[in-house]
Amino acid sequence: MRSAVIIVTFLIATTMVSAVLFTKEGLEREAEISVKTAPDLTVQYLKAGRVELIPLEYAKTIAGVEGVKAVIPRIWGYAGISTYTFTVIGLDTSSIQYTSFGSIESGRFLTPDDAGKGNIVIGKLIAGLLNVKVGDDIILLSESVEANKFHVVGLFSDASSIYTADMIVMSIQDARQFFRMPDGYVTDFAVYVEDYEQPANVAAKMSFLPNARILDQDLLLRGYKAAYGARGGIFVTLWTILLVGAALVAFSQAVVVGHESKFEVGLLKTFGFTTLDIIEVRLVESLVLGFFATSLGMILGYVYAAYFNAPGLVDILLGWAFLPREFRLPVFISWTSVFSIYAVTVIPLIITTVVPAWLNAITDPELAMRRAAA
Amino acid sequence: MKKIYFMPIMAIILTSALMLTCITNQVSWQSREYFKELRYTIGLPSIAIGTNYEGTRNPLLEVFVRSLYDIPGGYDYVVPSSFIDTPLKLKDYHESVPGFNLTTRRG
Repeated sequence: MRSAVIIVTFLIATTMVSAVLFTKEGLEREAEISVKTAPDLTVQYLKAGRVELIPLEYAKTIAGVEGVKAVIPRIWGYAGISTYTFTVIGLDTSSIQYTSFGSIESGRFLTPDDAGKGNIVIGKLIAGLLNVKVGDDIILLSESVEANKFHVVGLFSDASSIYTADMIVMSIQDARQFFRMPDGYVTDFAVYVEDYEQPANVAAKMSFLPNARILDQDLLLRGYKAAYGARGGIFVTLWTILLVGAALVAFSQAVVVGHESKFEVGLLKTFGFTTLDIIEVRLVESLVLGFFATSLGMILGYVYAAYFNAPGLVDILLGWAFLPREFRLPVFISWTSVFSIYAVTVIPLIITTVVPAWLNAITDPELAMRRAAA
Repeated sequence: MKKIYFMPIMAIILTSALMLTCITNQVSWQSREYFKELRYTIGLPSIAIGTNYEGTRNPLLEVFVRSLYDIPGGYDYVVPSSFIDTPLKLKDYHESVPGFNLTTRRG
């Protein structure tokens, strides 16, 4: 009975804790990878503490700062289709440096010839929702409730869905038209610095720019980690408390079921077992139970998150965000997480079972058996 | 197999299986295709976690949301955190999230 209680409690707790920890680390790692490929610096325009459109004329000033290699204007925002919100990206097609994109499943990526022609490349989520393929036309409603017709020239692959599922990529001219954005303004600037320069140093040189907010990769990454870390941390704390509770249950079971245990111990000592032998037996028993329940719990937690997208738990981590069916949660199992979970399960279990065993073992065997029989 | 050996053997098998899963998972992350050319071209750091929430411009909620809302592509990441506590009280947010305290951060 005692073993069953320990196994079930530890199994449930470790499954939940591991699912959240592995998912949180996967999301953080995914964000880390994306941030690494983000521009060295992103320059936005602040007015009264709010982010607004940035004047294009800033590009020339930023390009003149020592250490700046390239300044690329971007227009991007969100478009609603049905109950979903999609990310619309307007690219300066003349500044695209690559000619082939492995992330395209069918069709092609944008080229400089697509500027202002209404050609778009879309992700799997929107393609599935609207049931469109390469060569089809789609009509998107803008915020100003005007219909905009676009021609699908490319479709992103399933493999790239974690990055592209909700994307609609078009030329910057088309994005300007779609968002009805005034000429001479863009959403922000992607700034790339020379290899020999530190982005933070270049950012410092831009401090003379009025109303500018400059984000570097480190700030972006810290922002993501703060969001996931805080949310995941709260949840893990709650479940760790439960684990401590489970350890107390184990302790309680060891004491309450002590009558039987005392008799066993008395019998063993009569047969010549020493106190150390008895503690050793309990230690091995706890290790077996602890490793069995915790390892199984972590495997179940991994399967629950990686193959079933952690229903119930994922909402806690993502809040109002949703996970498109098109891709699976990024799950990362780090050694740190695995050993941390072992540390908060196996060690308390050992302590809470070995201590009562020691208390029983130091009692006189005859007295122990008499008391147990009474 | 004797019944007494069942639990110890299962514990060893499950622990080994977990270690194997851990190694496999880490190798798969290392060998994963990240489509660097695409991410570099697009330049937005977020992954495609979408949002059903349409009130991000609610003046009250924006106080919470803006801590990451304004980061390129990060429009929804702060929302999971907004239920924990008022971010204004959290030192971590105040210091680590760019632009949260409404001051311009340069360099």
